[in-house]
Amino acid sequence: MSRRAKESGATIIRYRGVVKRYGAFEALSGVDLDVHAGEVVCLIGPSGSGKSTLLRCTNALETIDGGAIEFEGAELPRDERALREVRRRMGMVFQSFELFPHLTALHNVAEGPRTVLQARRAEAENRARAMLAKVGLSDKATNYPAALSGGQQQRVAIARALAMEPDVMLFDEPTSALDPETIGEVLSVMKALADEGMTMVVVTHEMTFARRVGDWVAVFDAGRIVEQGPPRQIFDAPTTERTRDFLSHLGWHGETL
Amino acid sequence: MNLDWSVVAAHRGVLAAATGMTILLTVATMAIAVPCGIVVASVRLYAWAPLRAMATAYVELFRNLPLILLVYWAFYVLPIATDVGLSPFATGLAALALNVTAYNAETFRAGIGSIRRGQLEAAMALGMSRTQAVRRIVLPQAVRRILPVLASTWVSLFKDTSLVSVIAVPELAYVAMQIRAQTFRVLEMLTAMAAIYWLLGYPQAKLVDWIQRRYAVTE
Repeated sequence: MSRRAKESGATIIRYRGVVKRYGAFEALSGVDLDVHAGEVVCLIGPSGSGKSTLLRCTNALETIDGGAIEFEGAELPRDERALREVRRRMGMVFQSFELFPHLTALHNVAEGPRTVLQARRAEAENRARAMLAKVGLSDKATNYPAALSGGQQQRVAIARALAMEPDVMLFDEPTSALDPETIGEVLSVMKALADEGMTMVVVTHEMTFARRVGDWVAVFDAGRIVEQGPPRQIFDAPTTERTRDFLSHLGWHGETL
Repeated sequence: MNLDWSVVAAHRGVLAAATGMTILLTVATMAIAVPCGIVVASVRLYAWAPLRAMATAYVELFRNLPLILLVYWAFYVLPIATDVGLSPFATGLAALALNVTAYNAETFRAGIGSIRRGQLEAAMALGMSRTQAVRRIVLPQAVRRILPVLASTWVSLFKDTSLVSVIAVPELAYVAMQIRAQTFRVLEMLTAMAAIYWLLGYPQAKLVDWIQRRYAVTE
């Protein structure tokens, strides 16, 4: 049963008529969506439909051209310093991991606490060790990213984001760059995080994950949300043609696992 | 042909001192030109547009002037234009540093530009300021990537310090030429000079190759 169906927490992120343009191309054409505390919201839809763009606007890696994004009731600040604090509270995981290749796994995770939170070295490294343990990589602390598999790198990236003690985690296609055999380990870390009650916004092509772990699913097409609702509605009884088209293109004919 | 190598041995003291001066010029120039190169590169990449234009103008001016002209210009024109009389050493150092800073700025700019944008974004997503992200994440990777280029610049510079001999800085080329002029032992002195430059330059190049292998980042 979806958390929203049970009882949802306060609205943490609210998108209101969000518009984003790249020159003449409109990547987002008025997106409305609420993310509640403790909820896993999955953004699905074809490539180029705007879901990653929305995620990148959420922590202001991209600026919006219209509408508003609110974080805990306040519009995203324009002031650089205030924006850094908002980013600190939103962990982000990238499709291409973006681990820092010149640092070991441990130092990748300790870098944020060291530089941003100004933690002492020992304190930052203790926290980093705890986070690596959480993603099951205690034994890889001294490895450089190049010596880790894709799945391991992405788990380190998740640990790096968690080390900042974020209130929300943003996942931008976290398994799209992975070999099939390592996708599972990343998804199970994400599932565990969801079970702990972490608020998550996940751009994904993993329909089984969206179906099982998601509390709310938004289907994107051409810069708009064409349908949103609990996974049961989206996957079992989609109300729009676009959703049905998209799911059948993916070969989704009900849950396979 | 009648060669007399004793002339080299007889002047070993001054040659050693001159070699020391050549090394000092190289080290001092790089000590100025590496940090200044980073600053100029950062300005060209990240600063306010008018500053950026100034940095670009600086690079394009000093990179495209012959170094020897720069040395003469600093020696003859600068004192007249500014009323500042510098020693030949300081003048030579200024000319070398202006030139090498321009090259280093381009090297650093290319190095920084070669680091994926995602790295900067990942750092900023953690809450780092742009400056922190560049200093802690982008620059360390860029430096490792451009070490071979900095190494070639270093070795070129080591040899190019000979150009300041035209303003009588007592470095290796100037002193060897002086001895040649006094003793008429042209072949001996030029050969000794070549041997000293090569024997010092080659290990430097090898050392930097080693540093590069040691600190290379694999992705």
